[in-house]
Amino acid sequence: MDTIIQQLFNAAQLGAVYALIALGYSMVYGIIRLINFAHGDIFMLGGFIGLLLTTRFGWMPFYLLLPLAMLLTALVGVAIERVAYRRLRNAQRMSVVITTLGVGIFLENLVRLTVGPETRQIPARLPSAPVVWLQQHLGAFVTWDKLLIILISLALMAILWLVVNRTLIGTAMRAVADNKDAVPLMGVNLNLVIAVTFAIGSALAAAGGIFYGQAYSIDPYMGIDLGWKAFIAAVIGGIGSIEGAVLGSFLLAGVEVITVAYLSSNLKNGIAFGLLILLLLVWPWGIMGKPTLKKV
Amino acid sequence: MKLHTLALLPLLALAACKPTAQEIKIGVSAPTTGSISATGQSAKNAIALVQDEINAGGGVKVGDKQVKVRFILEDDEDKPESAATVFQKLINQDKVLAIVGSYTSKCSNAGAPIAEAAGIPVVSPWSTNPNVTKGRKFIFRACFIDPFQGRVVAQFATSKLKAKTGAVLYDVASDYNKGIAEVFRDEFTKMGGKIVGFETYNTKDTDFSGQLTKIKGSNPEVVFLPNYFNEVPLQIQQARKLGLTAVMLGGDGWDNPELVKLGGKVMDGNYFSNHYSPDIDNPIAKGFIAKYKTRFGLVPDAASALTYDSANLILKAVATAGKADSKAIRDALAATVGFQGVTGNITYGGGGDPVKGAVVIKVEDGKFVFDSAVNP
Repeated sequence: MDTIIQQLFNAAQLGAVYALIALGYSMVYGIIRLINFAHGDIFMLGGFIGLLLTTRFGWMPFYLLLPLAMLLTALVGVAIERVAYRRLRNAQRMSVVITTLGVGIFLENLVRLTVGPETRQIPARLPSAPVVWLQQHLGAFVTWDKLLIILISLALMAILWLVVNRTLIGTAMRAVADNKDAVPLMGVNLNLVIAVTFAIGSALAAAGGIFYGQAYSIDPYMGIDLGWKAFIAAVIGGIGSIEGAVLGSFLLAGVEVITVAYLSSNLKNGIAFGLLILLLLVWPWGIMGKPTLKKV
Repeated sequence: MKLHTLALLPLLALAACKPTAQEIKIGVSAPTTGSISATGQSAKNAIALVQDEINAGGGVKVGDKQVKVRFILEDDEDKPESAATVFQKLINQDKVLAIVGSYTSKCSNAGAPIAEAAGIPVVSPWSTNPNVTKGRKFIFRACFIDPFQGRVVAQFATSKLKAKTGAVLYDVASDYNKGIAEVFRDEFTKMGGKIVGFETYNTKDTDFSGQLTKIKGSNPEVVFLPNYFNEVPLQIQQARKLGLTAVMLGGDGWDNPELVKLGGKVMDGNYFSNHYSPDIDNPIAKGFIAKYKTRFGLVPDAASALTYDSANLILKAVATAGKADSKAIRDALAATVGFQGVTGNITYGGGGDPVKGAVVIKVEDGKFVFDSAVNP
């Protein structure tokens, strides 16, 4: 029985990272109806920026390092939007999707050439001792870093919720999501709102990358597979919805881990994605997504 | 008139590229980029060493002439589809006489049929999956095969570590990992042990916590991880963080300095089977290790030792054949008896698989320490 609680923590950690990536996909889509396929690589880049900071500035404590890496990655995200996507905002949908793929491949190769193709780990900055209380009371062997990763991720998601729902910029973001064409007429700076969206999405992905590099490992191509999974989680939850992205991520991670634990590790992806296809058949817009009606 | 001369230039250039009798070309297919680029680097180093050694003595003796040797190294990125392209390029474009490579079994299995069809002999340094040479006349290898390696580890676990229960976690998408995992399971059971967990993952997965937690629940004494050095440290690290304390065992896929660089202290106290150990007393190995150390500042891993042996096996076959002809080189290779290499003596008894021994290595203080030798 002790392993089920441990498995739930495994799922929560993985789900937290999926969610940090999925939020970026969902927010950008919600605002400008763009699927930013380079987002998985932003997550990878965040991990590598974290690695660089930890190895170069070994004295830096984690509570400084994490925000700094998030800030740097946010700047990269904004720069990419400014340089590669903004001019294409009114172009054909396909052109900008291809551009996002191109940016992703560019980032992968940039990191491969500058840092190298090897698998790496971000040196541990979080305590890795087991949480004694959980071990004694629930018989679950869970280390502090796992617990902290889950808690910090949830805290970041809570902050995001507050920003979107309780601040002026959040109101602007929701307004743009509602009607991109009318909002600038009300005197809202559309470019700024979009830049902030990219900044927030990239910063969250960077946090995900750093957590991933601490808990698992990072390599220049990790953004591809994980990006897909997070994207799928966002779609399941209902792309464009923040709550949906989080829900979809924990659901995907949960199904994956439970399949491994109680069925077979061989069937992990098969069962996880089979179930998700069924879910989408029932809720084509995702669990929390809103059906968009096209006016003819 | 000027235009005419210009038009001729490419033709002249082509003529200059035509293989001449003054040079023997041997292809190398190695993963110099990609997830196991460290192995490709080992291969590159060993090849550079062989090329300089042989050419310093004037080259290889073909009939009554000394001919210089040139190795053409191409990157297969550890991807089967790239390995197929590399083999095709080496054979059709570079017109090599023989090929050293590829490294992982999945890549060799992609390249081997192409070389077999073209009648170009191949010596794979590092592909231990049995299927690589099976049913093929032109494909050889310098290493032992997985059934033997799986048996070595199973025997070590049951007799030396006295383990009664064991579990396995392996990459189900890779020929090497899958082959050796299955042999270990069968042999371990035959030797009286009990397999309490047999879990899989897919190449490039980085989260193994679900599988490891499940393995922890069945409480095995040893866990066999027949996976590559870029994943094993992460698997062990995650296992320890989940409270799984069993001794970890592995195969030759562990053998790379990256293993301890990535894993650090968690690697200590675990064992793996390997092709050779730098500690073994063998004059040829000693000479190779000394040269390698001075030139590259590293202790050579098994991949570099096997590359060195593979390249020299081919060069010796060229000399024995007495002519620069792929078919003759293949026949000379197949007739190799008692070739003295860095990784031991190599004899081909009919097929492309050599008869040779293995060693078990223990990781101690971040170093690979010789533990015991096992002969077939």
